[in-house]
Amino acid sequence: MNVIKRYSTLYLMMLPILLYFIIFTYYPLLRGLIMSFQQFRLIGDTPFIGLDNYLKVLRDPFFYDVLKNTLQIGGGILIVGFVAPIVMALLLNEIAQRKFKKIIQMVIYLPHLFSWVVIGGIWIFMLSPDGGVVNEILLALGNDRPIHFLSSEAYAKWVMIFSASWKEMGYICILFLASIVSINPSLFEAARIDGANRWQLVRRITLPALYSTMKVVLLLNMMSILRMFDQIFIMRNPAIAKYVDVIMVYTYEKGIMEFNMGVATAASFIVIGMTFILTLLTRIVIRYDN
Amino acid sequence: MNKKGLSTLVFGLLTLSLVLSACGTNQTNNAATPASDNGAKGDEAPVKELRIMAGVVGGKTPEETELFEKEIERLTGIKVDINKPASDYDTKLTAAISSGEKYDLLQISKEKMNIFIEQGILTPLTDFVEGSEVLSDIPSNEWEQVKTKDGQIYGVFSKFQGGTMPIVRQDWLDKLKLKAPTTLDEFYTVLKAFKEQDPDGNGKADTYGLSTAGLYEIQGFMSAAGLKQRYVMEGDKRVIPYATEAAVPVYEWFAKIYKEGILDPNFATNDSGKMRDLFLTDRVGMVTYWDAWVGLFNNTRLQEDPNTTFQAKGIPGPAGPDGTILLRRGDPDVWVIPVNAEHPETAKQFMDWWHTEPGIILGSLGIEGEDYSVNDGKYELTETGKDHGMDHGVPFWYNQNVKPPFGNLPGVDDAQKIIVEHATVELTPPGWTDAEKILNNYAIKAMTGEMPAAEAVQKMHNELKAANLID
Repeated sequence: MNVIKRYSTLYLMMLPILLYFIIFTYYPLLRGLIMSFQQFRLIGDTPFIGLDNYLKVLRDPFFYDVLKNTLQIGGGILIVGFVAPIVMALLLNEIAQRKFKKIIQMVIYLPHLFSWVVIGGIWIFMLSPDGGVVNEILLALGNDRPIHFLSSEAYAKWVMIFSASWKEMGYICILFLASIVSINPSLFEAARIDGANRWQLVRRITLPALYSTMKVVLLLNMMSILRMFDQIFIMRNPAIAKYVDVIMVYTYEKGIMEFNMGVATAASFIVIGMTFILTLLTRIVIRYDN
Repeated sequence: MNKKGLSTLVFGLLTLSLVLSACGTNQTNNAATPASDNGAKGDEAPVKELRIMAGVVGGKTPEETELFEKEIERLTGIKVDINKPASDYDTKLTAAISSGEKYDLLQISKEKMNIFIEQGILTPLTDFVEGSEVLSDIPSNEWEQVKTKDGQIYGVFSKFQGGTMPIVRQDWLDKLKLKAPTTLDEFYTVLKAFKEQDPDGNGKADTYGLSTAGLYEIQGFMSAAGLKQRYVMEGDKRVIPYATEAAVPVYEWFAKIYKEGILDPNFATNDSGKMRDLFLTDRVGMVTYWDAWVGLFNNTRLQEDPNTTFQAKGIPGPAGPDGTILLRRGDPDVWVIPVNAEHPETAKQFMDWWHTEPGIILGSLGIEGEDYSVNDGKYELTETGKDHGMDHGVPFWYNQNVKPPFGNLPGVDDAQKIIVEHATVELTPPGWTDAEKILNNYAIKAMTGEMPAAEAVQKMHNELKAANLID
């Protein structure tokens, strides 16, 4: 109590932020949780129906389709989106010419700044079988007919994985680069004196120094894989919806298109629960706190 | 008071004022809406009030919507407050109503109306519609579109809703000396000619016969097999005709034109915007789209070049085995009154007025003085009016006594006649979103030749059955 009195000014300064989170985050979350146990109606009474909404979701075969898609696409993004920025950061670190390095950094960072509406549109255009640059190159290289990347079951998930990894690669790469430049140069110098080659420097000094950043990046990515929506919503089409629709698209369809808010919020809380478990497991596996 | 105490007090007051000011704004807004239907306050003359949430009715900008509200007040004496979100209408509608906002009128699609009826949140309007002189002008068969199984009406049309149909380049047909096709075989011949005979005359093989936006707009061709899109009820059984054996020949026909490069290779991923662009840029000779767009296509090219030979024309699809042509009528947009409306009688008065000449002119041309002016009884569009394309939520209407001041755009009248004669609304029960995914998946595989049509139909039928989406 004494501590609160002593720092009362600081606590008061925190109050607006606290109120902001209570009003705009925790209160809606609580309302959502209550709604997930109710039979939703836009107007009028909304009786409590216990776990019915949750059971509806868990008994819906389409939920398992989207769950499978979410885990496959999310898992792909988790792996490719984790490895690619590390490789890129290591390669960028090897570039001696500063100006060229900065230009490359800026170019790969740019996609992160654009919304999925822009990025999705660019990829849809580039992958088009009718004049898309990717197919034009493939045809020039000898392909006999254009590939329907965005209407083919075989390519759909890979397109989502690689476009998402490509978009965020620059941003995550900068986090790794920041860690690399903070490594004490004398470590590299000492290793070189001891006869270490370039690969050994990377393997024995650079990569171990990145472990803490890797943990943070992995944890952040893990927390977001079940929540992906924008990219899929923009890039999906009727031909591949069955193979790329994720849990949040399912939630959107139930809540906004079918006005079935009870089921939609129940699905959302299942996502929150799964994210919580996945994050907890990841923390334990990577020994985040060590 | 010491310095620390003073600063504590200042922060406290600051926080409190922030919270109170946020709450205060909300209270002021709420206080503006009286609870009684006539809005009478003390000795003042009664002022009728109305709160409306609309998706397309209103101004093109928030500023114009304010003028729109004033124009309604000038013409009807009703003080109107219109909430017209710029985007994500359904999301905002859900958020507004479920958070307790009260509206007297909502503009929604028939599909949403069915959901709202199921939730029991709409006021029945059957007696009002049957007793209204103005609304009695709307043909009785049109009302069938919005009637429930027990014959109740909950929504009043906010505009005349058209339908989709094959739209062909008539000038290309003329150039290649071809007639408008009436059977699937004739469609094949025409579309193949559009692909191979350089109809745009640029010397390049850069045209396609047909483009669609996915599976959404193939009703015109499924007509050849007598199949209706989405659901039909056979007794008590839910059937999706596109997932029956009868659809196989049509899927095979599509696979053939896809393989021969006659069908736009992007058809599965197209949105309607891309499809329209292909048609307007001489890349494709036929699309399947709305009747109103026949006029918009022609007008767009005429605006670009007054001497253009471009001529879009709506045509019926091929007739089915029994000679019937099946086209798709769009789900009508309707006005509905929620059960918690504070001014339901004023809302009914407004709906009546919306179908009279002043209401139609406002919903189409727009606001007098802003979008148009009247000189010696003649309408003249202002520059703003021209930009707004004579559409403020009502591009077409039911009241035949009100003629369009500038006539319809070229080709629209003929296209509408075909729609009125052959198009019917679809049946969309709950679960269609899930069924559509299964249907799209296999239908597009069949149309692209990735899977034999018979196998695709069998698989979609099995999956729909397993998911309890058909009986």
